[in-house]
Amino acid sequence: MDAQERFAVEIMTIHELLPELSYYRMLLVAPEAEQEAIGVAFRRESRRLHPDRASTLSNEAAKEKANDVFRVINEAWRVLQDPEARARYDVLLADGVLRMTDDARAGANNDKRAGDPESAVTHPKAEKYWKMALRDFNDAQYKSCVMNIQFALNFEPGNETMKEWLDKATKLRDQDESKKEKNPYKLRLM
Amino acid sequence: MGIAVGIDLGTSNSVVATVIDGQAVVLADIEGRSVHPSVVAFGYGHAVVVGHRAKAQLAYAPENTVFSAKRLIGRRYNSDEVDRIRRMVAWGVAEGPHGDARVRVKGKVYAVPEISAHVLAHMKGIAEQATGQAVDGAVITVPAYFNDQQRQATRDAATIAGIKCLRIINEPTAAALAYGYGQGHQQHIVVYDLGGGTFDVSVLRLDGELFEVVSTAGDTFLGGDDFDGAICDHLAAQLLEQTGIDISGNHSAHTKLLEAAERAKKALSKVNAVAVKVPGLGRDAQGNAVGLQTQLDQATVQRLVMPLIQRSFSVCDEALNQAGLSPKQIDNVLLVGGMTRFPLVREAVGHYFGKAPLDHLNPDQVVAQGAAIQAFSLTAYSDQPAAVLLDVTPQTLGVRMVGGFLDPIIPRNSQIPTEMSKIFTTAHDGQEEVRIQVYQGESRVAAENELLGEFLLSGLRAAARGEVKVRVAFAIDADGIVKASAQDVESGRKVNMTLQASSNLTAVEVEELKFDELGF
Repeated sequence: MDAQERFAVEIMTIHELLPELSYYRMLLVAPEAEQEAIGVAFRRESRRLHPDRASTLSNEAAKEKANDVFRVINEAWRVLQDPEARARYDVLLADGVLRMTDDARAGANNDKRAGDPESAVTHPKAEKYWKMALRDFNDAQYKSCVMNIQFALNFEPGNETMKEWLDKATKLRDQDESKKEKNPYKLRLM
Repeated sequence: MGIAVGIDLGTSNSVVATVIDGQAVVLADIEGRSVHPSVVAFGYGHAVVVGHRAKAQLAYAPENTVFSAKRLIGRRYNSDEVDRIRRMVAWGVAEGPHGDARVRVKGKVYAVPEISAHVLAHMKGIAEQATGQAVDGAVITVPAYFNDQQRQATRDAATIAGIKCLRIINEPTAAALAYGYGQGHQQHIVVYDLGGGTFDVSVLRLDGELFEVVSTAGDTFLGGDDFDGAICDHLAAQLLEQTGIDISGNHSAHTKLLEAAERAKKALSKVNAVAVKVPGLGRDAQGNAVGLQTQLDQATVQRLVMPLIQRSFSVCDEALNQAGLSPKQIDNVLLVGGMTRFPLVREAVGHYFGKAPLDHLNPDQVVAQGAAIQAFSLTAYSDQPAAVLLDVTPQTLGVRMVGGFLDPIIPRNSQIPTEMSKIFTTAHDGQEEVRIQVYQGESRVAAENELLGEFLLSGLRAAARGEVKVRVAFAIDADGIVKASAQDVESGRKVNMTLQASSNLTAVEVEELKFDELGF
């Protein structure tokens, strides 16, 4: 077997193992490794498994799979290089979750963004105002949007999504207001 | 078996190179010229001329001579950028069937990839003539800041020209490759790339044969053309003052002044002051031909172009910020692009980074050389890879959510190839379709970014709202090109997904435009 064939076999083997590999095993680094060692491991594996190296292979399947493998290596690096994301991953890993591909799982900040804002409320009365607020937002009617979110919040005071949107809408409303004040053509009644 | 080449498809000029005996060599034409204008001229009966001969036609038939087409590639007709270009050029800009900007010359409309294809075919011809071998494939460079549409359109241009595109790589990355190839460097470098039409800056970490792009930023509308424009405006103002002749709207006079501005700019790279003489710009009240006669010195030009150079530094700030580095932590600065020959630019860059930029590389040639190295490593297998490129995606990819905001899915400066997914749910009972608008850009407001296209997920199971969950995976491959696929979360079944509202050519259109064996 020549070097190229060996490389193709290596790729196929790793590809087959992908569903079972944690990010640590993907990068061949110990879960308790120092932050610095993670970078070293990522660079070592990049040299070894970069799909560009597979571009001359006659084995088309191996070429395809080299891309898949490297996507996961990049994913592992993206999570493990950030100590916060790594800590979150360690918690998930303890529960047997190997990958954090969906943005919903990627981080606390992303959690808020995920999903459909329309389904962010449960109380029926809150829902009525919330829908009106979203419609206002779409129509750039920020003043009325802020009011509607405030009404909706009366029924569901702890709703984080609503609070987040309230902040956004308030800022945009204030921007609108300040534009109005600067309008030099405003008539002044004496 | 033929050769693999690297092509630097520039806004103003193009260069082709290949690796011979482990060295990246720029290939010259029979007359020994290695830099070729990216100009396509249409002559009698739509006959096409490319390169130096085409540029010669610019002065007398500007309306039939297409230059800077790269500024239009992959752009929508209805955009500020296209408006700006339309004011700069004498040929026509038309709207294509996909809402894409096209070129209109002599009553015929050309898709922009067609124009670029003529330049690529010309470069391929030069390479084949220089080496006596057929070109099997090419790595083509694009500005790092190019979005998916622009990369896709560049790939289409290669296909139309009958060139197998091995890879699209970023110009600054290519330059870094040419600099570090086989050198075993361990350092952080910055590539400052000020070309004819675009400005890019990339921060790289070099670790032996590993070239890792840490961050990249750019301005697709800052380049040498803007410098020429600023000088040209100054000359036009002087002409108006001296003779009362206003050349605005007069394309042929404007072209003459623009050329004079470009010549003066080049001369000022070597001397402190130049005389500018442009005859035949108009006629005075008595009907006598009137021209411009004036002087330009470095100080005046500095005043004119300083705002443009400052703009490039705010882009540098952004890239360094993303990389978490300060200018002082950069070991070396590489200059790329013809504009960096300009002493004012070199000096200002030296000040900004607190060290003189490297000057042993030819800024016109490094990009093509780097592309050639990449073409070589993509076509020759070796146990010990000569160079491994880890590049990033320059712009955030996201989808529009309720309220018109952009929900980022793949953040900018994510390493490629990459894939990230997001779960979408239905908003109404019995909904069988979900429409997803995909954007690329940094604005929080979706509509202020570049719309890549719209995906329609159809054939969903009819159920109560929120019950159907579809996981959409967005992948960016090593070319920086976006692909998407969708899957029903519960059943794991693939969901039908079609791309709409893309401004690019369809595969069928590209096939129809393909040049025949003769090259046209």
